[in-house]
Amino acid sequence: MIDLKVTEIKMGEEHVGKWGMVIDQDMCTGCQACVAACAMENNITFVGEKDSGYGRSMHWIRIERFWQGEYPEIKMTPNQPMMCQQCGSATCEPVCPAFATVHSQAEQLNLQVYNRCVGTRYCANNCPYQVRSFNWRDYKRPEPLANQFNPDVTVRRRGVMEKCTFCIQRIHKAEDKAKSEGREVVDGEFTTACAQACPATAITFGRVDDPESLVSQLARRHGHGVKHLEELGTLPNVTYFKGG
Amino acid sequence: MTGYNKKEEKAPAGVHHHESHGEEHLREQHLMLDPLPRGQMNEMVMESMHETSWKFWVVFAILSVIVAYGLFFSWGKMIAEGLGIAGVNRPSYWGIFLVNTVFWIGISHAGTFISAILRVFRAEFRRPFTRAAELMTTFGLVQAGFSIFMHMGRVWLFYWLLPYPNERMLWPNLHSPLSWDLIAITTYLLSSTMYLFLPLIPDLAMARDRSTGWRKTFYKVLALGFRGTEGEWAHLRNAMNIFAWAIIPVMFSVHTIVSWDFAAATRPGWNSSIFGPYFVIGALHSGMGAVIMVLAVVRGTMKNMKYFIRPEHFDAIGKLMLLISMGWAYFFFNDYMVQWYGGDKWTHQLLHFHEEGPMGWMWLSMLVFNIVIPWAVLWNRKWRSTPWIVFIVGLLINVGMWFERYIIIPVSLSINRMPFTWRLYHPGIEIPLGIGTLAFFILLYMAASRLIPLVPVWEVQEGQMAHELKKFGRETVVSVSELE
Amino acid sequence: MADNISLLAVFPDLTLAADAIDQLRSLGLSDDHMNVISGIPVTEAMLGRPNQWTNVPRIAGGGAALGFLAAVLLTFVTPYMYPQPIQVGTQATIPGPPTIVLLFELTMLGMLLSTFLGVFLDSYFPNYRPMEYVKEVSDGKIAIFFTCPKESKDKFTKAMTALGAEKVEVAEVDHL
Repeated sequence: MIDLKVTEIKMGEEHVGKWGMVIDQDMCTGCQACVAACAMENNITFVGEKDSGYGRSMHWIRIERFWQGEYPEIKMTPNQPMMCQQCGSATCEPVCPAFATVHSQAEQLNLQVYNRCVGTRYCANNCPYQVRSFNWRDYKRPEPLANQFNPDVTVRRRGVMEKCTFCIQRIHKAEDKAKSEGREVVDGEFTTACAQACPATAITFGRVDDPESLVSQLARRHGHGVKHLEELGTLPNVTYFKGG
Repeated sequence: MTGYNKKEEKAPAGVHHHESHGEEHLREQHLMLDPLPRGQMNEMVMESMHETSWKFWVVFAILSVIVAYGLFFSWGKMIAEGLGIAGVNRPSYWGIFLVNTVFWIGISHAGTFISAILRVFRAEFRRPFTRAAELMTTFGLVQAGFSIFMHMGRVWLFYWLLPYPNERMLWPNLHSPLSWDLIAITTYLLSSTMYLFLPLIPDLAMARDRSTGWRKTFYKVLALGFRGTEGEWAHLRNAMNIFAWAIIPVMFSVHTIVSWDFAAATRPGWNSSIFGPYFVIGALHSGMGAVIMVLAVVRGTMKNMKYFIRPEHFDAIGKLMLLISMGWAYFFFNDYMVQWYGGDKWTHQLLHFHEEGPMGWMWLSMLVFNIVIPWAVLWNRKWRSTPWIVFIVGLLINVGMWFERYIIIPVSLSINRMPFTWRLYHPGIEIPLGIGTLAFFILLYMAASRLIPLVPVWEVQEGQMAHELKKFGRETVVSVSELE
Repeated sequence: MADNISLLAVFPDLTLAADAIDQLRSLGLSDDHMNVISGIPVTEAMLGRPNQWTNVPRIAGGGAALGFLAAVLLTFVTPYMYPQPIQVGTQATIPGPPTIVLLFELTMLGMLLSTFLGVFLDSYFPNYRPMEYVKEVSDGKIAIFFTCPKESKDKFTKAMTALGAEKVEVAEVDHL
């Protein structure tokens, strides 16, 4: 008899991460509030029009918009916010020669260690979601953005890769607070900057390993969630809904 | 066995029955049958290093300027300002830097092919140009090193990739193909440099005996006090034998590991199990093209080299080039066929983009330069024995192989599984930097051609001792003795 | 050995040199008292000389073992030098196939570096001391050094000249 257990290990259903997101594309209006909030929260630099137009924008979250058909009969597809999917089996991790991107056992997140990065950019090539951004230059922040920094987040210099962290500084803050009060982190106690800023509540963040959390409930309720490029075996932690 | 091969190789098929090939003709054709006294050959090689025309210095000066600006100034500027002044972007995170790295590592494969594989198989035609080819290996790898370091975002921290004990006990990630790459390329650079140096020692001793002034000191130091005692020769022969065998798997592993940088990635078009041998044969393809170009230039510009490098050598390399071109076509088609048949939609998009995208002209030229032209020209013995013709073929193959790497890296990176990010790549400062590495390669080669004996005279003499003409019935044929 | 003298005889080709070595033996010199230097690799068999002892293959083997050991340290030990093994993309802490790659590369590196080193050790390179040498050697001549009793210098000189030596003289130590 063939032992089928061997083949089950990497099946998506079996995998449960820790932190995850649910994105309802039907709710998303494409207002870019999440993009702005993310940039402010995570000290993302200001790339400028020219470099941005050449594919060097550094947003950790982007709203993808597509259209179908030929002008003038075009049909817009639902907006698709795309950020690091915090893969359970991330293809970016093993290819870094310097251990600059590693898996966090405690948080089940994909970490980027800016200080350790030497800029080979292999991780970005190997990311099927193309959500890693590279500091091509030391960009100048125009006034008054230069006076606005989040003290909880490192400022990155040129030659370093970066990406969405699921606002790990907020996770840690909440965990520290809960620990000092001798309790567990409560669902909904905190959320990521993008989810917080979304006026349409299209983004929900929380514990996917807790069946009672809002993300788990939403995932159950919709029942037809899609994880992008799941077929590659990356075990992503972001679920998308559309056409519901 | 060698003697029999020799005969097959040298005798033009179908001609020798009608035309009487006298001994004179054979001697004229083959260096190995046209021996000169060793002293005279030494003198000729020494002369080739000494006699330098003003044209050499003009080219040398121009190249120095190009290197100073293209390589060092531009690189300094890029280190100071960041990779933004290059053309890399999302999704083409890797651009011409890696194209050049693969290209130069490819060039370096020819030297080892000639001096190790042909040595192991005792292909006698290799003798006069093993060193000329080995020099390409070492200098090519230097350029590959430049290109890969340029590519790094924070090159000043390159030593973080090396395994060394540090205060935080952080070691490199051995899961990464780039870590294997670093170790493999280091191994290859060190071993090919040592393999260049070992057979050079007797020639340095020869140069030491025949020079004065600063050259005397230079050769004296480098020759390490070699006299040619039985012991020294025995150690040297043993070591060269070990090197010739051991460096072959190292050479294959290096380009295979380079190919894994791509093949190990989860990207359409890259994730192919045939990339290893496909890259190795591609490396040999461009490498042999480069060897034949270098030999044509050396023969044409350096004094006395017409004696050492003859049409027979172009003929022999030309045959190898034809064979390698067929091999490349085979692997290319194999890769293409399976990708095409596979039916993955992203791979289909990519193949479509290769052929009909904005860089379609490059894809087509690649096939013309790598397959059509070599096949059309190199089948003809007369054409492939003519230096300027094979120079052009070699040049086109190198352009074609550079295109191939360009298509594999930035062009293929333009297409991925996230159509929102699809974007073309336009090189920026990569161009002066790439030209800088090319100029630096030529510059190093020119300098070396005046400083170290380009022809391994002792190997030529050894070969000439081993060759003789033998009569089979009425036909005079070449016969080789196995001296070792 | 105080009353011995060191002579050198230069021969234009192999056969003559081989004859000369036979002649020296019949005149009572042992192989230890002769040394041949040449500008091309002349095998021991060509001159009928005893085989040269070389340590190069052994040193190469030792280097390969050291390289393998270094690779084992790198691949099997360093991943466990952290408080908690670093996890990348659900790969095992010690990945199988990459380990083979590294074991291969570092073994080869160790072997080739030590082969090179072996030539230096066995040949006493670099060696810039004054030595007995004739420059004709790099022109393809074969020189035989031998030590003989001082009083029989003429006998040996004559014997060598009779066999076709281009010159026979007292070997002098000089800077190369």
